[in-house]
Amino acid sequence: MAIVAQSSRFGTYGRPVLAWAIGLLFFFPIFWMVLTSFKTDADAVKPEFLFTFTPTLENYLNMTANYDYWRFATNSVITSVFATLFSLVVGIPAAYAMAFNPSRATKDVLMWMLSTKMLPAAAVLYPMTFLTKSLGLFDTHFLVVLVLCLINLPIVVWMLFTYFKEIPKDIIEAGKMDGVNTWGEIREILIPLAWGGIASTALLAFIFCWNEAYWTVRLTTTDAATLSKLIEGNRAPEGLFFGRLSAVSTAAVGPIVVLGWFCQKQLVKGLTFGAVK
Amino acid sequence: MSDRRLPRLLQTPAVLLLLVWMLVPLSMTLFFSFIRYVLNNTIRPEWTTPSLSNWRGFGNYEFVLNSKDFVLAIQNSLLIVCSILFLTVIFGVLIAVLINKSFPGQGIVRVLLISPFFVMPAVNAVLWINMILDPVLGLQGIAVAGINGIVDNLQTMPVLGGFFSLWPDFAPISFRATQTSAYAVIMMVTWQWTPFAVLIFMTSLQSEDQQQKEAAILDGAGLWSQFRFLTLPHLGRPIAIVVMIQAIFHLSLYAEIEIVSRGNGNKNLPYLIGEFANNNIGAASATGIFAVILANIVAIFLLRMIGKTLME
Repeated sequence: MAIVAQSSRFGTYGRPVLAWAIGLLFFFPIFWMVLTSFKTDADAVKPEFLFTFTPTLENYLNMTANYDYWRFATNSVITSVFATLFSLVVGIPAAYAMAFNPSRATKDVLMWMLSTKMLPAAAVLYPMTFLTKSLGLFDTHFLVVLVLCLINLPIVVWMLFTYFKEIPKDIIEAGKMDGVNTWGEIREILIPLAWGGIASTALLAFIFCWNEAYWTVRLTTTDAATLSKLIEGNRAPEGLFFGRLSAVSTAAVGPIVVLGWFCQKQLVKGLTFGAVK
Repeated sequence: MSDRRLPRLLQTPAVLLLLVWMLVPLSMTLFFSFIRYVLNNTIRPEWTTPSLSNWRGFGNYEFVLNSKDFVLAIQNSLLIVCSILFLTVIFGVLIAVLINKSFPGQGIVRVLLISPFFVMPAVNAVLWINMILDPVLGLQGIAVAGINGIVDNLQTMPVLGGFFSLWPDFAPISFRATQTSAYAVIMMVTWQWTPFAVLIFMTSLQSEDQQQKEAAILDGAGLWSQFRFLTLPHLGRPIAIVVMIQAIFHLSLYAEIEIVSRGNGNKNLPYLIGEFANNNIGAASATGIFAVILANIVAIFLLRMIGKTLME
């Protein structure tokens, strides 16, 4: 019983204190980035202004002049949105077919789809550069959308499949009795029913698109370059521009971190392919 | 049966797209890995275009296997991946067990903890290597200078000064150097992926058998033996999954390596491929095939595990 008493004392004081300390520690680098973004470049590297300084918005106001931020941000938004939409347009019918009309091959097809996700991107770096350059697709929005869509398609199909599987087959079949065709079934019965699942799948796909840092950097130069490319291009400011770099970084990750807070649960589903429940 | 044909056909666009996406570039890589293909070569201009007449057999593989960089890249890849796996699993289990019980502010702590995972890799690397780890202007430099300043002051104290003069002058570590840059990468990726491990272990802990646990407490089982004999076995499967998923992701780590050190001595396999791909496509492709094989070894185990739960 002594142990139980001890554990409850730990539960009252030790656990919350320790948990909060760890939470704050993990959040500290992000906090530090946000804090630095309100310092001038000169103040940002001076020890006397670590926590006490005169906050300024100049880094945010000058983002366009310093980094052409909005051009990269617009590219990120456009490519991520269209890639997400496109992967849903291709993924919903596929997941519908697999969930409601499974064949013996369905499981293998799903597993094979996941396996494409596990190929190292670097292995096909040169062929991709070569192909896209010879097709005139290099550094175009179309290419980035296509690549982001294909990267996320396995996860999208898989997640949708797990959501669709939870819908009783009878409800979908009932549509058939009323003479609704396949498209009608998807549009009028399935999509309204699975709306929540579709939305969280889209949210997660959008986050993955936004953060993608291999192909978006290597297959673009200027026209279709995204925020990953922008940050990567300013990798070593040698201390001169900590303030402005923090501001542009905060602007690049802020919206996504907030979106991420809302889809913690879906993250587990999307990243472990349902193997952890 | 005919009314099932259209529904089944609906998966063909997805399948075809992925098939092309996978097969076309990969078979090109396979082809290039068996020929002499060098982009800049004035002496043998015929090698600058891919063609069957430049067949080299396993020559590129031999070249890659014998190059010093390849051995280093493999060692470095393994060092980075294994360290990250080890750290994220340990931290992940401990933190998940800690915050799984309810306490004031649990929701906020969860949000704070998960945040690093959504930071884009490029920002993660730029933030850590500059603002935190820079030996002069980053927090590390400022902290080391601060500690040295305090020690200097203490040395002037009348009695204890002699004791403090024995203290060494601390020197900040430059994490862009060849020997240390891998550790910077390990640090920043561990920071980013520990939340992932925590999230998955927490999800799994919620399905832990509470009755069994209460029975164990009544039998006088301590916290440690509860953890050792109930929680840890329960987490076995999620740990295996976290390890495998991370292994696949981190074997293709790229942005962090590029940003921290531009690969100076800190190459991993993807970075080496990128370097070869500037000129020697044959070697880049052979290295790529090695990377595929390495990833597949992990992927097969992972897919088997996922497959078991897929159709339940």
